[in-house]
Amino acid sequence: MLTRRTFAATAALLALSGWVAAPSFAQPADAGARDFIERLGNEAISTFARTDLSRQQALSSFTRLLHEGFDVPYIGRWVLGRHWNAATPQQQQEYLNLFERLIVDTYANRFLEYSGETFRIAGSRPEGERDTMVQTQIVRPAGPPVQVEWRVRQQAPGTFKIIDVVVEGVSMGVTQRSEFASVVQSRGGITGLIDALRSRVSQG
Amino acid sequence: MKLASLRSLLRAATAATLSLAFVGCASLPPDDPAARDAYYEANDPLEPINRAIFGFNEAADILILEPAANSYRLLVPDPLRDAVQAFILNLLSPLVIANELLQGNFEDAQVATGRFITNTVLGAGGIADVATVAGMPYEPEDFGQTLGVWGIGSGPYIVLPILGPSNLRDATGRAVDTVADPVRIWAYNTDNKGFLVGRAVTGAVDTRSRVITEVNDLRRNSVDYYAAVRSLYRQQRQALINDSAAPQSTPEFPDFKSQ
Repeated sequence: MLTRRTFAATAALLALSGWVAAPSFAQPADAGARDFIERLGNEAISTFARTDLSRQQALSSFTRLLHEGFDVPYIGRWVLGRHWNAATPQQQQEYLNLFERLIVDTYANRFLEYSGETFRIAGSRPEGERDTMVQTQIVRPAGPPVQVEWRVRQQAPGTFKIIDVVVEGVSMGVTQRSEFASVVQSRGGITGLIDALRSRVSQG
Repeated sequence: MKLASLRSLLRAATAATLSLAFVGCASLPPDDPAARDAYYEANDPLEPINRAIFGFNEAADILILEPAANSYRLLVPDPLRDAVQAFILNLLSPLVIANELLQGNFEDAQVATGRFITNTVLGAGGIADVATVAGMPYEPEDFGQTLGVWGIGSGPYIVLPILGPSNLRDATGRAVDTVADPVRIWAYNTDNKGFLVGRAVTGAVDTRSRVITEVNDLRRNSVDYYAAVRSLYRQQRQALINDSAAPQSTPEFPDFKSQ
């Protein structure tokens, strides 16, 4: 029941929390990151809900959204971890090309098979020193909703990019990093990983 | 395959695992500190044996479990599959409640108790998950998670024959849950062991039938499926131990441009 006293208490609490949060620099980035995810999500849904696109058109829309939303070179470099520095510039370039093709191969089909999923922003929190974790809930036509968190970095004022995706507590970046580390170790270095990636993307 | 021969096969596999465990340890990289970090992150000193068992499990999955799950999904209508899942989960309620209590989550223990009573009484013996509709969602808990909440580390990664990815802590937890399960105690005392086998087989097929696309995607898209599953398992268990709380340690995402 909202008596006058609880109303006053709530107002005071809100004022206080606003005062506590205001000096934090994460705050404006935080709201910007949420808007960014919301915009990107809506754009993705309106693109893939269309049925008049050919497969080729849909694939190129996917690649465009990928570049718009994700810092693919950053993710690729992060995923390679300490092995990045051991690679020559040519190897780094070839690896990044293959990495992007792997991402497109992996995720494009999921988006092309869009079947009415919707999302809503569930919240956000500052993560690390400079990022924002935007929490979303993906609601599927069948099955329980999925919690997906997007790690967003502000690269320049007003420019946001996703640098990691965490699905139900599982980070895609961490998973891929430990996978790649295992391949580098067992296949004798970065050349082995590049070979493995090349044969993987040429299959699809 | 006859059950007896399956059992002796399993016994031989276990013996082989134990004897190999002392010979086949992946050796600790001595010098490179970054290589040592990777070794500890994966925490997989038994990797050669684990990979062999993983391969055996994959073969069993592709030959038996996956086809069974595919037909199950095709032949059994969704509402019936949901009833099967709800019934099996409801039978696990006593274990969930006990583990919530052991973890000191008294509110969650109350929710789990409420679920158990609601679904057993109003859900026709557990076949309808009316509790979730009423705002009491299912929260998986087991003794491995309880040990994690108590601060016990995961120990080395272990791939169990048939049962799949685990680690020393979770395998111990699994053994404790199995022995403490009231349904198992009832089945042993009343000579209904067949019920336990039926539950295990149905549960495995039902669970597998819910992740067919996900497993196919992961198999197709990974360059090292074994390493991907190992990382997924570790992160998933950590997320379950933390419940919905934010993870305690997130990896660092440095700013490469300033370097």
